[in-house]
Amino acid sequence: MIVYDEYVTQIEGHGRVYFDIKDGKVDVRLEIQEGSRLFESLLRGRRADEVPQMSSRICGVCPVPHNLAAVQALENGMGIEVSEQTKMLRRLMISSQMIVSHALHLYVLAAAEYLGVNGVSELYAKFPEAVKRCVRIRRVGNRGIEIVGGRAVHPINSIPGGFAKLPSKKDLKNLAKDFRTVLDDCVETFNLFAGLKYPEFERATEYLAIDDGKHYPAYSGRLVTNRGLNVEAKEYRSHITEVFKPYSTTKFCLIKGHGFHVGAIARVNLFKDRLNPIAKELLESCPLKFPSDNPFHNNLAQALEIVHYAEEAIKIAEELSVTLKDEERQRQTKAGTGVGVVEAPRGTLIHEYTVDENGVVKEANLIIPTGMNTTNIEEDLYTILTANIDKPKEHLKRLAEMLFRAYDPCLSCSTH
Amino acid sequence: MKPKVAIFDLTDCEGCEVQILNSKFIDRILEGVEFLHFRLGQRVNRWEEFDVAFIEGAVITSHELELVKKIREHSKFVVALGSCACFGGIAALNNFIGVNEAKKYVYGENADKIETLYIKPLPEIIKVDFMIRGCPIVPEDFERLVSDLFAGRIPREHTRPVCMDCKSKGNACFLLEGVECAGPVTYGGCGAPCPSSGMPCDGCRGPLEEPEMSAELELLKMIASKHDIVRLFRKYAPMAPLFKEIGVRIDDSIR
Repeated sequence: MIVYDEYVTQIEGHGRVYFDIKDGKVDVRLEIQEGSRLFESLLRGRRADEVPQMSSRICGVCPVPHNLAAVQALENGMGIEVSEQTKMLRRLMISSQMIVSHALHLYVLAAAEYLGVNGVSELYAKFPEAVKRCVRIRRVGNRGIEIVGGRAVHPINSIPGGFAKLPSKKDLKNLAKDFRTVLDDCVETFNLFAGLKYPEFERATEYLAIDDGKHYPAYSGRLVTNRGLNVEAKEYRSHITEVFKPYSTTKFCLIKGHGFHVGAIARVNLFKDRLNPIAKELLESCPLKFPSDNPFHNNLAQALEIVHYAEEAIKIAEELSVTLKDEERQRQTKAGTGVGVVEAPRGTLIHEYTVDENGVVKEANLIIPTGMNTTNIEEDLYTILTANIDKPKEHLKRLAEMLFRAYDPCLSCSTH
Repeated sequence: MKPKVAIFDLTDCEGCEVQILNSKFIDRILEGVEFLHFRLGQRVNRWEEFDVAFIEGAVITSHELELVKKIREHSKFVVALGSCACFGGIAALNNFIGVNEAKKYVYGENADKIETLYIKPLPEIIKVDFMIRGCPIVPEDFERLVSDLFAGRIPREHTRPVCMDCKSKGNACFLLEGVECAGPVTYGGCGAPCPSSGMPCDGCRGPLEEPEMSAELELLKMIASKHDIVRLFRKYAPMAPLFKEIGVRIDDSIR
């Protein structure tokens, strides 16, 4: 049995990298030992208007995408069309969530190893400005989720058909202003992470994100990859397979029998042309280039996205602070099965529900970004350990954990 | 000397730990305490005597069962952090479905290879000195408990229902509008974020010490089906005392 002290630190959830080297050959396993809360089971029999709130409980670090993937899936199943305004508010929630979650990962979880400190307390003692910057960015991001969704951790009023309560124009205007005040902090975050020395490693793989034909990935779209996959989200079962491994409570995902990568690096690799102006300029002047096949560069991609999504939040909040109007919430028109797909901080997130004519959920299936990344992580681990096979075991362990952490894994999510 | 603190997460969403990071006083927390054990926030962790150990999450595996006993042995005070620890949390809904059936739905033929226990609230497993309720907790409850403990005061419990928070926000009453709401019997102090956002209270902080449960149920029976009443209390604190018996109580009173 794995004991608590063996779990990889500074990641969300409980798991470890097991590896052994025998006769010059690496044996490696990504052992995810998060307890199974069996969300798909417990959401059955619940009413559609309470499911998005409940499914957000899958993750306290990224509750918004779970809320919105559920909302979108339920709407598709129940035949509800929502307005452009509702979609904009949802993109504002996602933009805010990206900033909050990425800042948490970069400063509280990932930075310590790069800056040579033990953890967040020592980081604050030695680099107080960095932690304060993180707090400022997260405060505004949280405010963005709160204004639209009612609460930052576990949104309240975002339900099928729209919102139980709309924000005020004044709140949106102030929010845009608040985001402007932290734009410099966001740029500073990018500069910090652009200046770090990332381990040298490359492995070409398949990158997946969603494409709505217009925006940098956020709220909805088709599933697309750099290797030619381009399908409707509701066809996900024909392309993404899940495999059970006896050493993991998370199921491992594959496309055509191999691993694939979702998350910030996948989004930047695929859609860097759609980044907002400041983010685009930062990327152009950065010596590290995308598309990148170095998974450690996911951290840099996250830092870049903090800038992009802050710009996005400003754009949306400013526009809605002028145009926002009261809207009737749409009601259920049919029973059926619906798929919802959004970008979570850690990558593409899919929820699927079957709803009966009384608005009660009968079936549920959830495909989580970290679950999608599992096979790719294992393939990366095998490659990096094999390339460094003659290094001391303690060094290999740190390197392997660092690589795992670079994916910003969320094991509460992936096992759910 | 700085107080020695540990934060442990069991099976959960880690949202209550995130709420600690969201505290307005996070700088003072980082400066003011020494984290001996904090897996989420640091690499090197030590098992020494903890002045206070916070335990977040539900006990779902036998490993976690052993772990909480070990934490108890090392701690002067143990605090249950959030409704998963205090009341079993959302995953405990599977207690009512049947853990084996739930596992089979998710893992199919591999269900036997997954360990999930019948989920009990932490205070039914080890001695818990204080609880910080909520799904998620509000940072203010954490701040108050920490400042009381480290100043040598005994942390006080709230004695008011969510209705008091709700009234102070000037919200209209859901119950009066015929919408089922757990506010009158639910442990207050949260600031009523749900009613203030257009949704009724779903009882995430568990029941007050001596709630008017019978009156609440009488009221609910006038506006909601038996199924919807059970559903209301079986959500984020399903194993809380009084809440977990609601299905049975309603059956009794109907008979």
